[in-house]
Amino acid sequence: MKDSAMPANVPVLRIENIKKRFGDKEILKGVSFELNRGDIKAIIGPSGGGKSTLLHCINFLTLFDEGHVYLNGIEIDHANKRELYAYRQKVGMIFQDFNLFDHLSALQNVQIGLVRVKKIPKAEARERAVAELERVGLKEHMNKYPAELSGGQKQRVSIARALAMDPEVMLLDEPTSALDPELVGEVHSVIQKLAAGGMTMILVTHEIGFAGSLAKEIMFMDEGVIVEKGPPRKILYEASQARTREFCDKIIHFHHREDDQE
Amino acid sequence: MHFSITAGLKAVIEGLPYILGGVWVTLVVVVGALFMGLVLGTLLSIAHVYGNRVLRGLTGLYVWFFRGVPLLVLLFLFYFGLLGALHLDLSPFFVSIVVLGLISSAYQSQILRGAILSIPEGQLKAARAIGMSDTKAITFIILPQAFRLAIPGWSNEYTIIMKNSAVTYALGVAEIMARANHVAARTYQHFWLYLLAGFIFLILTYAGTKLLGLLQKRVAIKGYAR
Ligand SMILES: Nc1ncnc2c1ncn2[C@@H]1O[C@H](COP(=O)(O)OP(=O)(O)OP(=O)(O)O)[C@@H](O)[C@H]1O
Ligand SMILES: [Mg+2]
Repeated sequence: MKDSAMPANVPVLRIENIKKRFGDKEILKGVSFELNRGDIKAIIGPSGGGKSTLLHCINFLTLFDEGHVYLNGIEIDHANKRELYAYRQKVGMIFQDFNLFDHLSALQNVQIGLVRVKKIPKAEARERAVAELERVGLKEHMNKYPAELSGGQKQRVSIARALAMDPEVMLLDEPTSALDPELVGEVHSVIQKLAAGGMTMILVTHEIGFAGSLAKEIMFMDEGVIVEKGPPRKILYEASQARTREFCDKIIHFHHREDDQE
Repeated sequence: MHFSITAGLKAVIEGLPYILGGVWVTLVVVVGALFMGLVLGTLLSIAHVYGNRVLRGLTGLYVWFFRGVPLLVLLFLFYFGLLGALHLDLSPFFVSIVVLGLISSAYQSQILRGAILSIPEGQLKAARAIGMSDTKAITFIILPQAFRLAIPGWSNEYTIIMKNSAVTYALGVAEIMARANHVAARTYQHFWLYLLAGFIFLILTYAGTKLLGLLQKRVAIKGYAR
């Protein structure tokens, strides 16, 4: 195991007091948490609460105003470009709208990071890329271009692309919310497979059922703060904060109604 | 001067080899200018889209200048003005390529800027997220797509540069127009020789746009229509 080299008590990822404002609006008001190896934490909360901004900050795709990010106990200095690029490989990011490279085939989408970032020889990179696509069940579609793939397939390619970089943590920002309902399952099962393989993950989602089945902890985020966190059952059904209860009630009812219609 | 078809055709046929010799000159000027415009225009567009405020201001100024001043003025300014002031001795041919290239770079930077901006921003984010530097992301992700999107704009730019290249005759570049002019002055068959020159330009612009059209089809991304 990789983690034998690490002191067992150091979290893989720790973020400390992250604050971010856009203009005069404070979007993140000091967010902290940590993930141990294999932890899966879900973030839920109303739209505009800062969930995407938080994930972007963790990866330095958005630069925060205050706070610290640690990977395996070492603080990341984003001004050090080498360190930043190495860190980003370790923290895979999955976007709501896939963001595949449109001019590259599925295979090339996965291969390009290996060749251009990791500097692995083309043939070897290709082999690895094929293996990653096989892992998400897309080997037979590897020569298709993004425009020829369904939404579910695109998202699986984007997961393979991130996995190819050997991440230690995956950040997933509503990975299925842009998908037609019948395509959600295939992406969920890929994520479940990752979970079963021990991947450390942060999952932002509105699908509380999925979050509850996967995560050991759910964090409820609203207006730039983590209002409360705890085991799924507690957050979803016995939250201590009124805001959390209100949100969870609404979303649970909504889901039940959806289920009734099916 | 009388209008005679036989005399006109005779002048055209006799002058044809000499005038066609100018096609190569025109092509080298045009292709040279387009290539220089491409290299400079690409850098300018990147500076304009991804640069800080100072860079954006500078590229804006550059584009504004080269789009606003007439070609003939720039040719004279560079050839008679700048070279003299700098005590440089460069051929009109070379100066023409440079001036047309500078102007084209201004236009091409705008074509490419539009193309770059039409690529979904998420792709740059995704490239960064797998550990690419911005330079790599622009080189391997953004530009390959932007270049494809820019081909129709280039096609247009090609015809404009092709037509404008005729103005370089004013510096004495021995291109199509200069040669047609030369034969016309000798034979007094201006109508027929300028018609011939126009016809040659027409073929060159047509062939170029056709070629770029083929290129566009060839490099089109599968399943992709934008
Ligand atoms: N680049 C930006 N500039 C200005 N404001 C921004 C920017 N990005 C996000 N915001 C604002 O920050 C707030 C939080 O946005 P964010 O996308 O993080 O919310 P979210 O919790 O992910 O919402 P959703 O559930 O809709 O995805 C919103 O009010 C949004 O308008
Ligand atoms: Mg969001």
